Amino acid sequence: MSQRLDVSEFLTGYLAEAEEHLAIARSCLTTIHAAIQRSELSPKSVRELFRSIHTLKGLSSMVGAEPIVQLTHEMETLLRAATKAGGDLPAGAIDIVVASLGAIEERISQVAKREPLTAAPKALLDALGELQFEGRPPSQKGTLDLDDETLAKLSAGEREELLQGLGGGRRAVRVEFVPSQKLSSEGFNITKVRSELTKLGDLVKVLPRSIPGAAGNPAQVAFVLLLVTSADDDAIAAACATTPEEVRAIASSIVPLPAASSVAMEATNDASGDDLERSPRQGDVLRVEVKRLDEALDGLSSLVVSRWRIERAVWKLDEEHANTRELKNLLLENGRQLRDLRAAIMRARMVPVSELLERTPLLVRGLARSSNKLVRLTIEAGTSELDKSVVDRLFPVIVHLLRNAVDHALETPEGRKAAGKPEEGNIRVTCRTQSATQLALVISDDGRGVDAARVAARAKSEMPRTDAELLALITRSGLSTLDKATHTSGRGLGMDIVKRVVEAELGGELTMQTERGKGTTFTLLVPLSVTIFDVFSFSAGGNTYVVPVSTVEDLIEVSSRSIVLAPNPSADGNAVRLLRHRGQTLPLYRVDALLGLKSSPAPTPKAIIVRRDTQSFAFEVDHMLGQKEVVVRPLRDPLVRVRGISGSTDLGDGEPTLVLDLPSLLYRPTLQGLAS
Amino acid sequence: MNALHVVFKVGEAEYVLAASDVLQMETFSRATEVPGAASYVAGLVQLRGQVIPVVDLRARFGLPPIARTLDARVLVVRDGDRVVGLLADSAREVINLDTETFQKPPGAIGTQSAGFVSAVAQAGTRLVMQIDFQKVIGQDGIPKERKDGAET
Repeated sequence: MSQRLDVSEFLTGYLAEAEEHLAIARSCLTTIHAAIQRSELSPKSVRELFRSIHTLKGLSSMVGAEPIVQLTHEMETLLRAATKAGGDLPAGAIDIVVASLGAIEERISQVAKREPLTAAPKALLDALGELQFEGRPPSQKGTLDLDDETLAKLSAGEREELLQGLGGGRRAVRVEFVPSQKLSSEGFNITKVRSELTKLGDLVKVLPRSIPGAAGNPAQVAFVLLLVTSADDDAIAAACATTPEEVRAIASSIVPLPAASSVAMEATNDASGDDLERSPRQGDVLRVEVKRLDEALDGLSSLVVSRWRIERAVWKLDEEHANTRELKNLLLENGRQLRDLRAAIMRARMVPVSELLERTPLLVRGLARSSNKLVRLTIEAGTSELDKSVVDRLFPVIVHLLRNAVDHALETPEGRKAAGKPEEGNIRVTCRTQSATQLALVISDDGRGVDAARVAARAKSEMPRTDAELLALITRSGLSTLDKATHTSGRGLGMDIVKRVVEAELGGELTMQTERGKGTTFTLLVPLSVTIFDVFSFSAGGNTYVVPVSTVEDLIEVSSRSIVLAPNPSADGNAVRLLRHRGQTLPLYRVDALLGLKSSPAPTPKAIIVRRDTQSFAFEVDHMLGQKEVVVRPLRDPLVRVRGISGSTDLGDGEPTLVLDLPSLLYRPTLQGLAS
Repeated sequence: MNALHVVFKVGEAEYVLAASDVLQMETFSRATEVPGAASYVAGLVQLRGQVIPVVDLRARFGLPPIARTLDARVLVVRDGDRVVGLLADSAREVINLDTETFQKPPGAIGTQSAGFVSAVAQAGTRLVMQIDFQKVIGQDGIPKERKDGAET
């Protein structure tokens, strides 16, 4: 534990976020409550509530607020189950959840007052725990016609099984077996009954039941058997040595289920329900065009430049032995404020990963349908956030990998059965923050794995020895192991593009593990935040550099006729060159000279006109090379933090290219003479 | 205690770094020069999607530049959040050294790298010098930054 960790600042952040999630949770509960009144489900709100509670749990565990963690943990489990059940909360759950939220609120205010936290109320924890096992069967699917005592002994899974096995002539029935001496002598005992019933259908549950003793008869034990079967009452009765009248259907299916439902989804919901539901976050979320945030960033960078100019003025005062102590303190503070402001703007650009992944279940459902596969998609998005620009680039990549998984990796239900796997294929998307700057996104399937031999044959290459070599082959451009483009995957984005986006554009890393017959896992390591700029590239002094397009006012040819020489008051004695441009006279600087590189005049030099505040400058370069949208990475290491160089980028050659902040080059201390 | 060490050459001398300090070793073809950075910064290289600065050990140790050969290696080291490459003339071996036999560098080490040598050790018949890489990459930034930032 670092001692320098500022706990109070951390707590302030925690309280602000916790408050926000409490507000979301309350708003969700209102919506859910209203829906229940109308006997409707509200899957989106339940999911949203789950997310808020989940986040709250994560936040609280970071500040060590154990009672809150306990409460949120129990709520989370309950809500996760409800989310999976399509937003169906067990009866009475709402009251308990409301009470729990109140308890959390109390404890958060204790955190705010730096008071010790009261333990989580045991009654609430117990109630939440009980609810988790209670989930009543979803209303669309039907209900179980059983006495409460028996119902209480069934787990949610068993109830589900009884209800889900319906359709196609199957039904759920209840029958009793009452052992007796006589039956036993005929070979009827519970073991035999069990095995007979198993032959007739799926025996879901066997429950012992005591029959109270009556006159002449001692108390004894009977067995309640619940099964899903297509056998008729006579056969069932015979298996239990009872009469057909004793066989009772217990589940009625209101809506017959389709023979095979194509996709089971976790964390998903009906799109139509989504639209109808009021978004609970409406109140405190503002949608902002990214462009506006970019404008704010631009404004900020001009602030940074003026700060440098003030700094320079202070140095000058220093040289004149003026007292600059207070000015310097102000500058330091100003610097901190600028950094905070920048961080705040960058934070506003962050998008939760869960939002990015929200769109994938529908996609997978569609893919599964059109390829006749059974797919279960599990998403664990966690609470990570990514910069908007990363999200925009990452989404097509995720879509592609999911498509590949459904189309190529997962086998058909028959194929899976033949391979000894469950008919339903699994695709799992998990996401976790890897470090302060990186996020790991893992997409895995339990399909057939990549056929290395086939890939090698197709690429006309040697058999790859490692997964890394195999990945290199797969991501070679234009390689597809399918002879025909399938309906869904088509030829669109290929694995080569996936690699390029992850590695070249985002500066991340793509790895793969695959095992024949077991499945494939792709791991994407991507930076949480990157800055995307439209840039001009040019050459100067034999090197390639780029400048953000947004800073450039004009690009012009430099001809000797447009240049005026003016005397230079500074020591070096070289004449200052002035460029006439649109009725203005601008100072003209050679970029190679500013960078301290050897300059050799180009035959047709160009000038980049850049305005900074009210002043425009002209920068002479050898050639203009092009325009491109690139990811700019800041240079943080002190070894390369140099004024006038704002970052580095990759123009596609795998080598860093420097991003210049041209006017700032003029303020380099060593070049002050040139700037005057 | 025996520990693996990476042996590398800068000029005629042999140096070592604990293998546990070296994240990876890469061949070196070129680096993107960063005008305005310290003279011993060879520039930036991109390794597995990460852009890192490379310190030219020859320049850092005050040796004249030479034409780089195919033997040149970048030893990637980590110091806290920083990941920095160290450019050596060559790096061919990994050897086991008993760290208990490490000795304080004698004042007689005449090379300009002396300030960066934290210990000397005997590897068979050879003398190898352990470098203090944190000192080599500078812990508190280049002096220029210190001038405009840290005064209070």
